[in-house]
Amino acid sequence: MVFLSLNLLVRARGPDEFWRKRKIFKLAAHYIGRRKNCYSITIRTVQRALVYATQGRHEKKEDIRELREQRLEAATTQHGINFRTLKEGLARCNILLNRKVLADLSIWEPRSFKALTDIACTRAKQDHLKTVHNIEVPKNVFVRGLIK
Amino acid sequence: MSLARRGQHWGTFARIWHVYDAKWQDPYRSAKLLKDYLMGLYKPIYHPLNDCGDHVVVINSKEIALRGDEWRKRVYFHHTTYHGGATWTLAWELHNKDPTLIVEKAVYSALPKNLQRRHTMQRLHIFPNNKIPKDILENISNQIKQLRPVPVRLDHIPKEEVDNFPQLLKYPKDYVLR
Repeated sequence: MVFLSLNLLVRARGPDEFWRKRKIFKLAAHYIGRRKNCYSITIRTVQRALVYATQGRHEKKEDIRELREQRLEAATTQHGINFRTLKEGLARCNILLNRKVLADLSIWEPRSFKALTDIACTRAKQDHLKTVHNIEVPKNVFVRGLIK
Repeated sequence: MSLARRGQHWGTFARIWHVYDAKWQDPYRSAKLLKDYLMGLYKPIYHPLNDCGDHVVVINSKEIALRGDEWRKRVYFHHTTYHGGATWTLAWELHNKDPTLIVEKAVYSALPKNLQRRHTMQRLHIFPNNKIPKDILENISNQIKQLRPVPVRLDHIPKEEVDNFPQLLKYPKDYVLR
């Protein structure tokens, strides 16, 4: 070990093993029993916890996406279409809103969301999508060749 | 929070009471529909942890319609946990014993299998006919649309209308119908 400054000399006191283990023990500070006291058990638990944390970061994104889709499915069925039609219709109109914004709009601004579903429904109807075959075009949407 | 905003908040999270007429409806398909209302899945504020499920009052459960010959073929299993305690009850037998049970079991099996299931079932009220107790009736503010229209039976159409219905041919008076 090279001690270039006094600072590092102070920090480096004691054997290396102690500091190496302390890093792990710090992560296990809130564990119960031997899991936080015995290193060989601690390292096992900590490593497993870190793996779970990594997986959880991906799963959280999936869960939130699923929840938003569920909410949007609920919001769109109130206006007579489904989420797939909404997404397809908006994409074809070049309205690029993601699930988060759409879900927030459906909760906090139901009228704006209703307008979006109307636009999506009209566009889907114009493009003869199968899903809106039995639905009437909303009367409050004036197309005038602008939507396409 | 302003008073109007607070009212809006209450309104959003308030429990709504829905009524569903089960007459001539398939209980197993209705259960999928009722599940959304019981769990609050039809609301954009849905979250598995927020308690946004509604009450559903099912009426006329005595007059449900099972598909095909399910009245004779569908079997409900029960075991008393004693030896030889298994019983198999046909759907029509169960319906004779208790006309609300088939709907209840259909909804119970349609709900997700978790600890919340029995609490969600508490919000389902089933009545065999259209008589709802007054304390429940006064809460109801919405009717769930039936899955399919109730067909009109020929013997329920007034005789006058049947007689006046245009006919393609008329049998002669002395014609013997077999």
